[in-house]
Amino acid sequence: MNTQRKVNAPVVIIGGGIVGCATAYYLAQAGVQATLLEKSVLGNEASGRNGGGVRQQCRDRRERALAMASVKLWVALRTKLGFDIEYNQGGNIRMATTEQRMDDLRRESEEELQDGLAVEMWDRETLRRRAPYLGEVFIGGKYCATDGTANPLLAPRALGWAAKRLGATIMPRTEALHVQVQAGHVTAVIAKDPTGELVIETPRVIHAGGPWTPQLAQTLGVTVPIVPTRSVVAVTQRLPHLFDEFISSHDLGVYARQAREGHVHVGGAGAEHDDTFDQTTPLGTIEKIARGAAGMIPALRHVNFLRTWAGTIENTPDKVAIMDTVDGIGGYIIAAGFSGHGFCLGPIAGKLLTEWLVEGEASMPLEQFRLTRFQK
Amino acid sequence: MTEPIEIVVVGAGPGGLSAALAAAQAGARVALVDNNRQPGGQYFRQPAREFRGAASPHQRQGADLWQRVQAAGVHWWAETTAWGAAETRVLTLAGNHAPSSIQPPAIILATGTYERTVAFPGWTLPGVMTAGAAQTLLKEQHLLPGKKILLVGTGPLQLVLAAELVRAGAHVVAVLEGAPIFQKGAAHLGSLWGQWERVVEGASSWLTLASHAVPYRTSWGIVAANGNRQVAGATIARLDAAWQPVAGSEEQIACDTICLGYGFIPFTALAQLLGAQMTWQPELGGDVPTRDANLQTSAPGVYAVGDGAGIGGAALAQVEGEIAGIAAAAQLGHHADTAAQKIQALLPRLTRERQFQKMYAALFTPGAGLDTLARDETILCRCEEITQADVRRAIALGANSAGEVKSITRGGMGDCQGRMCSHLLAHAIARETQQTLAQVGRVRPRPPLFPTPIPVLGQVQAARAEESLR
Repeated sequence: MNTQRKVNAPVVIIGGGIVGCATAYYLAQAGVQATLLEKSVLGNEASGRNGGGVRQQCRDRRERALAMASVKLWVALRTKLGFDIEYNQGGNIRMATTEQRMDDLRRESEEELQDGLAVEMWDRETLRRRAPYLGEVFIGGKYCATDGTANPLLAPRALGWAAKRLGATIMPRTEALHVQVQAGHVTAVIAKDPTGELVIETPRVIHAGGPWTPQLAQTLGVTVPIVPTRSVVAVTQRLPHLFDEFISSHDLGVYARQAREGHVHVGGAGAEHDDTFDQTTPLGTIEKIARGAAGMIPALRHVNFLRTWAGTIENTPDKVAIMDTVDGIGGYIIAAGFSGHGFCLGPIAGKLLTEWLVEGEASMPLEQFRLTRFQK
Repeated sequence: MTEPIEIVVVGAGPGGLSAALAAAQAGARVALVDNNRQPGGQYFRQPAREFRGAASPHQRQGADLWQRVQAAGVHWWAETTAWGAAETRVLTLAGNHAPSSIQPPAIILATGTYERTVAFPGWTLPGVMTAGAAQTLLKEQHLLPGKKILLVGTGPLQLVLAAELVRAGAHVVAVLEGAPIFQKGAAHLGSLWGQWERVVEGASSWLTLASHAVPYRTSWGIVAANGNRQVAGATIARLDAAWQPVAGSEEQIACDTICLGYGFIPFTALAQLLGAQMTWQPELGGDVPTRDANLQTSAPGVYAVGDGAGIGGAALAQVEGEIAGIAAAAQLGHHADTAAQKIQALLPRLTRERQFQKMYAALFTPGAGLDTLARDETILCRCEEITQADVRRAIALGANSAGEVKSITRGGMGDCQGRMCSHLLAHAIARETQQTLAQVGRVRPRPPLFPTPIPVLGQVQAARAEESLR
């Protein structure tokens, strides 16, 4: 028996990460009840497997305005989702160990101030005073007070739950197999859940499949240049309160935040490429994180690590997201390739995609996020 | 210059000692790793020996085995924790006597078990402990865990512990056996043929309890531990065939200590990290690695023996250890010609012990009722203080897998790394969502498998580089 069930939806969202969940949430708020398809469960991939940073500073200039708008949404979401997502504006410090890095940060700060983002340059003395837990190796850093952190295990899911309460249809364990196109326009999505195949008739698809986006897009003849990259985080035992900021150092290759329960999460930052869908935790990466953590926060030197996890980030060639339509496939929008920045940008992406669908135009320009920029 | 190690045996209990001996005697260069200072595992350090003054048969057997292991030239890496592994057959080690990582041609896992906790109202009160914890108090501290002790659980080890407690001067108020062994036991008497040591030990424990008039009830179990800041008593009840407490049969019993002996869960995390396929076998304690006739897992060169590959006791662990030791050595070219013959000669012993294992599993595998004792306010994850109600709330939000409930509730994220609670959480999810445990799934083990400090984590590759220079 292989009966295909048939349903319909005004919009189908493929992917239950933070971008998909936020889109479903804002669409539902605007009165559009989307159907969201997630191959496993909500927030199970990079959206739930990241450092939990919600950061505006140290962004590509194209993303900066989006990050700043997203933080405004995060502040609102803190009270609007009916669930505590542990969002905290504890600030963000990007540290430097070399004069050259300090110069880079200084140049960046000038651009950020021009763009209206309040950041401060901290010299060695200020860093010691404001962040005494940091290692002696740092000679200064850049600080953004309105940056912060949230719990990645909870925030994407809470957006999905809220969307569901507002009337969206959330379908976990449902994998989109194919997007049907007729006469140059999307007509349906064919999907598979544990009980079999189903057809969701729809005129619009938002494809937010993270690192799995290229495979499905390719069946439509659309090439999406996204490479999967492994990211690893290690978690200490519960510790007394040490710090509020999200901290990072590309020189040491690590970043960290202290979660509300006291565990310190340390992840690998910087240029390491580990292009794979493999989500096991490599021992060599644990080693690098451990060494970086000890240099960054000397108090961690004799602390036990309890857990590690690995996730799959979706990198584009320029590490900036794609939000675009495709010529010849009406109703099909790609929102993917957030390159490790999707956790912070998820809410604004969902909001802008909603405006685009409902009002025909997003309130912020999206030209910089065209897919075609890679086809030159 | 040291020759490189060919086989690393993890765990120095009966299975690991036997494996190390067999492999070394075949000519392989073997290292034996264990967390403890002394070899022997839990079995060869039976607590009663400390009080008897003279060596028991177990102790003599263990000491003799250890002497032969030493004589065979096995490298002994004591107080060493294997905290991580990778599918490339790498083990990462923390200990003063061992390299910090090693990639040997073969690994034999003899990692044993941890005790199965049970969640019921009051189980987190001081005074409730596992049978193994009570044994450790007796053995290492020469301390009685309490004055009036109730033993609840299943299996003959309860009798042994009760007898040891009585001999050490404790008042054992009762021993409750969950299984209906007098009804079911007769069918399995044949499996005891040849198990004379076990029969004698059982009979001796039995006589001790009888002479002290310790009540022994079968098909009875605990429902709740009572008391404010400390155990003051227990509510116990008769159990039906599914181990569900029979309504109306409850009794109160005064005690200050409750020892839980509900069996064991195989420690398989290393096998999983090494890439071994697992299979769900509740009668063997849960998830266990699949193995071929030589006890090799699906990961090439990785063998698994003893309780850590399926609960079966020390005698089975030893014969499995011998087989894996011979097979692993033969795989590396040591006495490959005679290995099959040697293994053939061990098969009758293996068959006999597997029969005993089957009988044990048929009699003493707890029924599903054991997992229904928790109430909404009962804590399931002690480290993070997650109750059954918290799990229920996560399920109401749409979670229905072990991983999701962990993510939403933090259950299983604490210092015990899930060893105390992951099975409790899984059972609760399965019951609430009407799924099987297989559908609920398991949380992927990840290094570090034990809480591990940065100085250890930070020297993985340094040691591996050193290793390759040898």
